[in-house]
Amino acid sequence: MIHAVGVRKSYGMIDVLRGVTMSVARGEVACLIGPSGSGKSTFLRCINHLEKHDAGVLSVDGSFVGYEQRGAKLYELNDKEICAERARIGMVFQRFNLFAHLTALENITLGPIRVRGLDEKVAIARARELLDRVGLRDRDGNYPSQLSGGQQQRVAIARALAMDPKLMLFDEPTSALDPELVGEVLDVMKDLAHSGMSMIVVTHEMGFAREVADQVIFMDEGIVVEAGAPEQMLSQPRSPRLVNFLSKVL
Amino acid sequence: MNGDEPLEVVPVRHYRQWLAAAGVALGAAMLVHALLAKIPTGLWNCITTHGQRRCSPVLQWRFHWDVVSQYFTTGPILRGLLMTIELTVLSMVAGILIGIVVAVMRLSRNRLLSSVAWSYTWFFRGTPVLVQLIFWFNIAALFPTLGFGIPFGTVFFKVNVLSVFTKFVSVLVALALNEGAYMSEIVRGGILAVDEGQVEAASSLGLTRLQTMRLVVLPQAMRVIIPPTGNEVISMLKTTSLASTVALGELLMSVEHVYNSTYQVIPLLIVASLWYIVISTVLSVGQFYVERHYAKGSLRTPPPTPVQRLRADLSGIGRKLRERPSFLRTATSR
Repeated sequence: MIHAVGVRKSYGMIDVLRGVTMSVARGEVACLIGPSGSGKSTFLRCINHLEKHDAGVLSVDGSFVGYEQRGAKLYELNDKEICAERARIGMVFQRFNLFAHLTALENITLGPIRVRGLDEKVAIARARELLDRVGLRDRDGNYPSQLSGGQQQRVAIARALAMDPKLMLFDEPTSALDPELVGEVLDVMKDLAHSGMSMIVVTHEMGFAREVADQVIFMDEGIVVEAGAPEQMLSQPRSPRLVNFLSKVL
Repeated sequence: MNGDEPLEVVPVRHYRQWLAAAGVALGAAMLVHALLAKIPTGLWNCITTHGQRRCSPVLQWRFHWDVVSQYFTTGPILRGLLMTIELTVLSMVAGILIGIVVAVMRLSRNRLLSSVAWSYTWFFRGTPVLVQLIFWFNIAALFPTLGFGIPFGTVFFKVNVLSVFTKFVSVLVALALNEGAYMSEIVRGGILAVDEGQVEAASSLGLTRLQTMRLVVLPQAMRVIIPPTGNEVISMLKTTSLASTVALGELLMSVEHVYNSTYQVIPLLIVASLWYIVISTVLSVGQFYVERHYAKGSLRTPPPTPVQRLRADLSGIGRKLRERPSFLRTATSR
């Protein structure tokens, strides 16, 4: 699903990504872990082109992110084509980023109606199903400010799912939540993982990584230091940097 | 002292507040007196009864309220009022549209667009609106005809500037262009106040930049944009009176017309002022409800309408009168 070779990104003089190489298979759940500033979020944002990578190969589902190959040349995609690519990739943010002026239901239907051109009635029916799935059936008319952090994040997941994404990206989805609300969001994500969705999750929840992930990828200072099965990564880390990191978070 | 006996509470007395209130009340009474005072006209009213002649001075309102009410709803004044409202509405609508376009240009990644937008604001904020108004009124002196075509090349068609730039149009153009400069800064402030995360979330759903602006950013920016825009509308209502300098028949011009022949300057200025106050009051009420509309989602409960607030205040006073907190039992009063 994701194939990255030597992905680089810098902001001015600061190299955030210094050659990230990884791959995530279809239906796989990959957890990206690492200290803050290691480039996890930046890499995630490169995948749906919220950030533009400077060098390296990055492809989603077989096509290059932000470019189209025709013969021996890569053509940069225009805004419209990039929008179409993004619409197939769901993203969940640390700070939820629900549209504050829209109700929970309207948050979910905005994309399907405006981007997919779905009929309003169909979109609403589908949005209600999704709200039910994340356990918020009776919260459809609430504005984000009237919902708890955990509820907002579940609406945000439903909003992303409404676009029928082939891949879901989670950028520290539980970091901004009160501890007692983390569980309800992780439960929704577990269900999603079991349904066979391809997911990349930047997280500090090692328990979630151990339980749900097919692959754990440890990043530090802009590169992938170590990747492997969760059991092996978290119980028998090989690189000293991962050992050091785990000693701080576990 | 026995702890079972309740203690009386003596509320603090605000003597200085009472003194200040008395002073303000006195001032208000003086103002009312000045407004309602009658003064001698210099004429005398004499009647002779049983061969005895009695005279009393003829009095009149100092502020000539009779003249005010006589002219308040006459045709010329109402026509002037209508033109003032028209000018306000049209120039604000145009100004807001210009403002949105210029604000979006200013925030564009394209350097040319953003510097053109900056220059526009710089120029129109930097020169007095009265000067701009007289300039547009005299535009025909600069460009007798206006040609559309390729710069330095072919001209496709020409228009006669004098016929296009009537008094009304030149005033409208001047006010709208000037307003656009101020509105662009207001709109820009509103757009910048919307969290960056909202744009990212919209992008991640695949909304185009135009859709993001229209469906996500602007509706939320409105909450910040509306209060200063309300200011601008009310300010514009009164700025339209500058059009009287080019003899456009708006409200101020209409009363000038009257007092130029009757010399009742003050009463007619009061007529105009009262109308300006009436319209700006209506606009303020409108602003309240527009703000309330765009507050949805940002507040858990919408602010009360004036009627709701008045009701709450009245019931609060009633409660205060009924339940005087005169007694309090405390455990530590022993």
